[in-house]
Amino acid sequence: MEKFISLAHGDGGELSHRLIRDVFINAFGDGNEAMFDAASVIISNSKIAVTTDSFVIKPIFFPGGSIGKLAVAGTVNDLAVSGAKPVYLTCGFIIEEGFPVADLRQIVLDMANEARKTGVVIVAGDTKVVERGSADGVYINTTGIGVYQPNMGCSLEFEEGDAIIVSGTIGDHGIAVLTARGELGITVPINSDCASLNTMLDEVLQHSKGVRIMRDPTRGGLATTLVEIAEDFNITMKINEIDVPVKGEVHGVCDLLGFDPLYLANEGKAIIVVAENERNKVIDILREFPEGENAVVIGTIIGKEKGQLLLETPLGSKRILNRLSGTMFPRIC
Amino acid sequence: MCSAVRIAVRGRVQGVGFRPFVFQLACKYQLNGTVQNNMDGVKIHLEGADESIQSFLSDLKNKAPRLSKINEILVEKAEFLNITEFTIIESERSGTSMLVIPIDSAVCDDCLTEMNDPDDFRYQYPFINCTQCGPRYTIIEELPYDRPYTSMKGFPMCEECRKEYEDPTNRRHHAQPIACPKCGPKVRLLLKDGQEVDSENPIKDSIKHLKEGKILAIKGIGGYHLCCDAQNEIAVTTLRNRKKRPLRPLAVMASSLSSVEDLGEIGRDERELLDSPESSIVILKKNKQYKLAKSVAPGMDTIGVMLPYTPLHHLLFTDPELAFLVMTSANPSGMPILYKDEEALQYLAGITDYYLVHNREILHPVDDSVVQINDGKLDFFRRSRGYVPDPFTTNKDVTGIVAFGGQQKTTFTIGRNEQIFVGPHIGDLENIETINHYQDELDHLLKWIDTPKSLAVIDAHPGYHIQKLVKEYDFTEVMEVQHHHAHMAACIDEHQICGKAYGIILDGTGYGLDGNIWGFEIYYGDASEFERMAHLHYTPLPGSEKCIREPWRNAAAMLIALHGEQGLDLAKAIFADKVLELEILKRMMERNLNIVYAGTCGRLFDAVSAICGVTKVSSYDGEAAIQLAELVDEAIIFEPYPFGLLEKEVLTIDFRSMLKEIALDVLAGKDVSVLSGRFHETVVQAIISTMKSLSEKYPNAKKDVVLSGGSIHNRYLRKRITAELRDRGFRVFAPENTPCNDGGLSYGQLVVAAAKRSANQCVLEYQQR
Ligand SMILES: [Fe+3]
Ligand SMILES: [Mg+2]
Ligand SMILES: [Zn+2]
Ligand SMILES: [Zn+2]
Repeated sequence: MEKFISLAHGDGGELSHRLIRDVFINAFGDGNEAMFDAASVIISNSKIAVTTDSFVIKPIFFPGGSIGKLAVAGTVNDLAVSGAKPVYLTCGFIIEEGFPVADLRQIVLDMANEARKTGVVIVAGDTKVVERGSADGVYINTTGIGVYQPNMGCSLEFEEGDAIIVSGTIGDHGIAVLTARGELGITVPINSDCASLNTMLDEVLQHSKGVRIMRDPTRGGLATTLVEIAEDFNITMKINEIDVPVKGEVHGVCDLLGFDPLYLANEGKAIIVVAENERNKVIDILREFPEGENAVVIGTIIGKEKGQLLLETPLGSKRILNRLSGTMFPRIC
Repeated sequence: MCSAVRIAVRGRVQGVGFRPFVFQLACKYQLNGTVQNNMDGVKIHLEGADESIQSFLSDLKNKAPRLSKINEILVEKAEFLNITEFTIIESERSGTSMLVIPIDSAVCDDCLTEMNDPDDFRYQYPFINCTQCGPRYTIIEELPYDRPYTSMKGFPMCEECRKEYEDPTNRRHHAQPIACPKCGPKVRLLLKDGQEVDSENPIKDSIKHLKEGKILAIKGIGGYHLCCDAQNEIAVTTLRNRKKRPLRPLAVMASSLSSVEDLGEIGRDERELLDSPESSIVILKKNKQYKLAKSVAPGMDTIGVMLPYTPLHHLLFTDPELAFLVMTSANPSGMPILYKDEEALQYLAGITDYYLVHNREILHPVDDSVVQINDGKLDFFRRSRGYVPDPFTTNKDVTGIVAFGGQQKTTFTIGRNEQIFVGPHIGDLENIETINHYQDELDHLLKWIDTPKSLAVIDAHPGYHIQKLVKEYDFTEVMEVQHHHAHMAACIDEHQICGKAYGIILDGTGYGLDGNIWGFEIYYGDASEFERMAHLHYTPLPGSEKCIREPWRNAAAMLIALHGEQGLDLAKAIFADKVLELEILKRMMERNLNIVYAGTCGRLFDAVSAICGVTKVSSYDGEAAIQLAELVDEAIIFEPYPFGLLEKEVLTIDFRSMLKEIALDVLAGKDVSVLSGRFHETVVQAIISTMKSLSEKYPNAKKDVVLSGGSIHNRYLRKRITAELRDRGFRVFAPENTPCNDGGLSYGQLVVAAAKRSANQCVLEYQQR
């Protein structure tokens, strides 16, 4: 473990993984650590899903959303991909001295709107103000509570041949936010995909018993999230490069900056692993929703011996993909 | 006078026909006694006339079988037992155990003569071999090397073969792959869909197809080659298009030494290499007669050539109109060489028109070795077929150390007693296919070599796949070794340099101890430790690997980082079609977005190559640097550009002014080959002044220098740095046993680990006292 925290410890990739494993799980772990986006706890005989997330983003308002919308949708999605119906939310604000109240109002309004849309109720909150310079504008933490519905959920019983589905184009959020900062002089007509997915995913679980797992590929991107699934459940997953949906503009910006879309953040996408014979049904359901209109199968589970993620390239070779790692040091000569 | 002696021969003396050779020598000089294999080599007891014994000893050294390699011959007086005959006796399982794994060898002259003799029962038989030639490592399933444990096990010997095999005086005595048309493997010609062609003579038909410009996949010793007529431009371009390999030079097989003379310049060394049992691809300077298709080696001043090394290859060259064949290993981009028939049929569909196959199974794929003579010395680009897994001996106990290598051009290295086994060239550990190939070969050699798994050694780069892979093996300890220290240590060990030495490591990319990318390093140290004395000024790589695939980005980043607005203007003038991207690169650098810092020789070459307009976007690794170097005439000494040496914490080489002048010269339309030459000389002079400055600062430092890193393949750099340093009283060494590129990394890692381990043991022993 490194001596000091670097920015890369927060990027959701390899270093975040190690930080959580070596510092947090080491202290809090009870051997039942969540492999999902929410934890399930049992209170007076009923199973409840709990999750928490903090939102720090620059810029606070970006094409397709704001930190407020994100703070609700992000936590709602964590509950939804865990198979729970989101019910309550709490929120905590850390605000920098001098932050415009008008902006704060807008953020809170965005939260309220998103909450209404998804059917969650924000039931508790907290506000702290810190000295100018001790924070950057505003940070929000939300905690979400959801309930599991009987006979609905993810089986976690993976089989060879299971399909890996992604609910739409990847990397939109990462590129929208990066270009919205205006620092690079790149303007592209890309909106963040920031959206709550609970209604759509609920529909999937209502109609399909073949879902193995669902995850939302936020920080660290599609690749990091798939690596986590592969390693946690010891399965070999293969995705096909040409099947992964990426918008032309996202490709363009990645090409310019040397980024890989597979590692860019998403805020309104779900990965669904589903039994082979249910794949078409699930795709059809997803495509009925605007958030899922580009849903597509991107790969399959090809083995159960080794936890790894492979990317089949157009040339036919299969590249090994790892978690996002802080700095992507060049490996080639 | 009669007497008796005991002789011990060590080196590569088993499985190479050494005992029959000794037997015949003893008969020739009418000597009695015994010869026997033991774990250390060959043991001989000899009785007879003193003079005869002397003649025997001289022949033993000078007329040894071509595949043997004698490291030492120990002779001592023995008791005279009055033995009345000479016999080969049972192997003895004693000694400190030197392990021998036989290696593959090009067909020998004796076998060729027989193959071309219409009266011989092996006339035109494509699998003829003897104890002095043929497949070995590639067909071994299990050690010890014995026919039932090879892929020849499915071919019961016929009576004639068995007679030869069992006769101690026959040159095929115990030739495990012995075969003939009656009992041995056979060739078949297949259509592209795998259907067998009904052919009287598949080889003759293959020649016909090659002459028609067709592409053939040919199964050889270590895997499949893709093959076409090297003088047929359309055939070569078709092969390139189908293989999706636009520019990377292709290797060529020439029918004979005399036809090689129609391609490139060959001196004595090159001739010897071409004609050796190892039969590597030798990189030659193209000469005036050169007349191959343009697209064989576009933009190159050199050509990689080998001679036919299997009987099958020789039979392909029976038509005088077909003297040069493109012979490139058949592997889909980024994947290991194909060697299994089913896989070849699957992956080569759409690339090849025909397959020329045989039913002798390849168990261990191995690529052709690639070498050049550089400044008069052997210089490996790739050490594989013909050399692997022949061990090196060292003077330390290296048991239990396994070095996993790096990411690209990877090899692994295994230690056992005082033997170091460097594994075959594997390739780049990016794809699962290559990683599986790595693990297959590693597992096999680990089993054969049977060393305890105590210390694993890996590169320190956090993104190299070996970091993950090593966890699948059960080692007591894992040690990380800095990339360029490994390069340096390999050379130190090979030349058995005592005490400390300077290491000048000019390399592509290696992970540095400060988290930056290193590769233009001057170290001082030994195998166990080093101090960084000087390095190249860091510049940003915006977009990381993207800069390596697209050298123009790296070039622009250097200009902008070193010359600000003026640099940006120069970059815009040179890369006029990239004006928009350049602004963005600059902003990325200002905001430190997706930036890695690097000071490496490879990146410097890339940048200059892009500025000169030689290679702006790379289609294979090293292309930019290679193409830039090919422009330079090594016979000239060019005038250097100005450069700086900055006295920072560590001496820092600064090429700011050189880059600007090169950019201005390019814009002024000056001759690029001169610019390239002057750039090369600037690198030389920068190193020489650094060394001068270090020598003044540390007058008592040792005057030994080792050169390594991928850029040491560069003939101008190597020759000039060596010459200048020698003029100043330095002894200069470069790797001759393993590649100076990352193919030699694992060997160096093992050496560092062994040195550190023994240093630790010394400290422990001292503390216990
Ligand atoms: Fe290197
Ligand atoms: Mg989350
Ligand atoms: Zn022979
Ligand atoms: Zn036979």
